[in-house]
Amino acid sequence: MIRVGIIGLAHVHAAGYASILNALEGVEFIGVSEPDDALRSRWAEASGREAFAEHRALIGAGIDAAIVCTATNEHRLVVEQLAAAGINVLCEKPLATTLEDARAIVRACDVADVLLMTAFPMRFSPPLIEGAAWIDEDRIGSVLAFTGTNNGCIPTDHAAWFADPVAAGGGAVMDHTVHLVDIMRWWLRSEPIEIFAETNRVMHPDAEVETGGILTVVFEDGVIATIDCSWSRPMGYPTWGGLTIEAVGTDGVFAVDAFAERLEMWSRGTATWLDWGSDPNRAMIGHFIGAIEGEHPLLVTGMDGFRATEAALAAYRSAEIGQPVRLEPLAPLPTER
Amino acid sequence: MTLRVGMIGAGNMASVHAEGWVAAGDPIVGVLDPDTERAGRFSAAHGTDVVDDFLQLAASVDVVDICTPTHTHASYIGMAAEAGVDVVCEKPLARTGPDAMAAIAACDRAGVRLLVGHVVRFFPEYATARDLVALGDVGAVGVVRLDRSTYLPAGASAWFSDHAKSGGVVHDLMIHDVDYARWVAGDVERAYARRVADTSRGDHVLATLRHEGGAISHVQGSWAYPVGSFRTSLEIAGSDGLIVRHVAAPFVGSVSTTEHVPDVPEPPASSVESPYVTEIRHFSDVLQGRAEPRVTALDGARAVAVCDAIALSIETNRAVEAAR
Repeated sequence: MIRVGIIGLAHVHAAGYASILNALEGVEFIGVSEPDDALRSRWAEASGREAFAEHRALIGAGIDAAIVCTATNEHRLVVEQLAAAGINVLCEKPLATTLEDARAIVRACDVADVLLMTAFPMRFSPPLIEGAAWIDEDRIGSVLAFTGTNNGCIPTDHAAWFADPVAAGGGAVMDHTVHLVDIMRWWLRSEPIEIFAETNRVMHPDAEVETGGILTVVFEDGVIATIDCSWSRPMGYPTWGGLTIEAVGTDGVFAVDAFAERLEMWSRGTATWLDWGSDPNRAMIGHFIGAIEGEHPLLVTGMDGFRATEAALAAYRSAEIGQPVRLEPLAPLPTER
Repeated sequence: MTLRVGMIGAGNMASVHAEGWVAAGDPIVGVLDPDTERAGRFSAAHGTDVVDDFLQLAASVDVVDICTPTHTHASYIGMAAEAGVDVVCEKPLARTGPDAMAAIAACDRAGVRLLVGHVVRFFPEYATARDLVALGDVGAVGVVRLDRSTYLPAGASAWFSDHAKSGGVVHDLMIHDVDYARWVAGDVERAYARRVADTSRGDHVLATLRHEGGAISHVQGSWAYPVGSFRTSLEIAGSDGLIVRHVAAPFVGSVSTTEHVPDVPEPPASSVESPYVTEIRHFSDVLQGRAEPRVTALDGARAVAVCDAIALSIETNRAVEAAR
């Protein structure tokens, strides 16, 4: 049995991960740790289980693996503790709010020789896996361009820190760029080399962070992509948001909507979309557990999280100067695992 | 009351406009095209005279309708202004922003009216979405997404692929959505764009526009989609709401067909009146003092100027101010 804990309840995904861990074979879900009293008592109420008030207590309870669901700017501190204790890490995205922290996270797990996986569930989404296959099999010829969207409602209803410039390191760009950059890197096996970004906060003028953003990313192999990372779904939208990619190749095109497997329900004046398809989060956690058991290497690592964070941070530099920026090709990288 | 119309150009778009003039009840009294065979075919189809002298045609009409290749628009507009007749011109108003402004100045001096065929403003779904924005239903416009993806026009319309004549996918196709973006989000301050040109088909351009007031538009214009396909989509997100026109499916792939397809791509049909007919009937009303133009010549010139900025951004890989 792999003993797994969840570090932090700040992230909206923590509860979903807990129910997946409870149901997963070969896993013993040890519990969660959260220093914040309000979050902890809400958890106790919802789950009927007490949470550890200190991360050290959960670490001390003896776990083989942890899912990190703290605010992004706390990732580094807890991952360094986990790594030092020899615990394998599945860390929420983005990996960190600064490149320095992202690098330290990767390095700490490297040095301690523990697994570090970044929580990119879209790698386990069947329609996106089909897209990867189409590219591998050259079904649309050589890939020329992507148009990607990862739009959502402003996530402050879930947790205010998502729109906190310090805790989250930014707004929509930080939150949503990383998923699409990761998918494109996965599909292309190529790195972003140049980024342009326009951002605004027209849709949420009171926010302290950008809530609208459109990026143009150029990859090393010449593929050009745009990424709409905007929190552009309004209050009352039937679901949290969605993710789409269109690919244009020399011989054809394809379009993926990762969340199209849904029922649309209207009930008592409210519209709701209910997912009925596969659960990428479950597949992601299952893959993490399998890697710990030595069944397979990790498909998505800390380095992938580092690269995606690097791209998001470059987008902020571009938005600030209003011109494209080059990604430092030789940014000192942690060693690849 | 009716208008006497002189058709300049006898190609694909002239036939499309002719349907509108018929619906408006305005007779096409003559057609001019350097390709006399094509002019003859148009004349036979529409029961109108072939005229080979512009001034002779202009003397016998109230309005000329310019449906020629883009690079000839400005000079025909200038000739019409000199002849003192009103002008309807298919988009783009001219090949470049400065040419478009010169054409407007010529018409102003001559006291003739100039209308430009930005037909997307007459597509019911686009017009309805814009009405909703104008009513304030989505609040302040924040992010707009517009897409127009099809294949490179072929055959007799091969001038489209001559960049000097058509301006390529930016000035010919993307300009529809550039104009629409201005209509819903305000004038454009800055443009950034990248192009994929090494396709066996046509160019594929992804542009980001920054509008006065801070809205951002993502505009996709493509001639690199599989032959036979024509896909458009529309999304407007604001501070109070969202308007979307799209279709959801987990995975849709498509490759070029070898079946017969029209030389010039045809946008997805709607179940109501052809937007081109709506457009020409509206122009007829405007020219007879019954309506205010939904799209002005200056709008047409601004759309071209923004396309110029997009083209310059592609060339320089810099974000480019869309100079007024």
